Amino acid sequence: MSQIKRLVLDVLKPHEPTNVEVASAIGDLQDVDGVNLSLYEVDQQTENVKITVEGTNVNYHLVLQTIEDLGGVVHSVDEIIAGKKIVEEEETLHDRG
Amino acid sequence: MSFNVEEGRYIILGSVDGLLATLGIVIGVSVVSATTSIVISAGLGGAIALALTNGIGSYLAESTIEHGKRIKTEKSLLRKLSNTYIETLSRKRIVKDSLTHGGASFFASLIPLAPWLLGVGSVFASVALSLIALVVLGVYAGNISKQNYVMSVAKMVGLGMLIVVTEQLLKFFHLT
Repeated sequence: MSQIKRLVLDVLKPHEPTNVEVASAIGDLQDVDGVNLSLYEVDQQTENVKITVEGTNVNYHLVLQTIEDLGGVVHSVDEIIAGKKIVEEEETLHDRG
Repeated sequence: MSFNVEEGRYIILGSVDGLLATLGIVIGVSVVSATTSIVISAGLGGAIALALTNGIGSYLAESTIEHGKRIKTEKSLLRKLSNTYIETLSRKRIVKDSLTHGGASFFASLIPLAPWLLGVGSVFASVALSLIALVVLGVYAGNISKQNYVMSVAKMVGLGMLIVVTEQLLKFFHLT
């Protein structure tokens, strides 16, 4: 299995723990170099956030477990970059249209 | 242990409860018997009972509220939150609030009892110490609510005076 370099997750989480606590808990995981947590939507009980995790060998299951332990739910895995080098998404003709 | 606004609520609730209820006991009992040991026994009995009822009361109330909040969040998230950081946080908060409420109540109860415990045995000293404690509590409450300190202190001291006056009236009408 090749190593995961980047993970982009769509997560629904309660207001508590705060986004700072969630980002820093994921950032503390082994082989994670950096985390970006962006807030998209705030509801009465929940928040919708996009979490981008980058590292040399991101452990997907550990990231998932950490989010679930903090009360969050991963709605979808929006982007995965794995392998020896980072490959960005290419724009296709369909995207341009 | 750091205290936030939530704990501030229980510090004020518990302290006012402990201070005024015990002051009432001290004034009431000292009318019947001026014996120091009886005043101390009655006061300490009241202080312990208050601390336990406040602590347990808070535990039960907070458990109910926290459980209700968790169920609401679980419905929104479409998942159970048992064995998560949220549950641990919620349990810690319940215990902290209960200890704060019960503890504040007990320690505040010792203020009107202090002159008797130190062998001074004077109702006047109990009232004076309690009013000083209410002034401190008023400043603390003013600081939390970001309101006028004078108004906050006046409310606290006014409440204390109300207890003293009520007790004196009861004494006057031979009801204690």
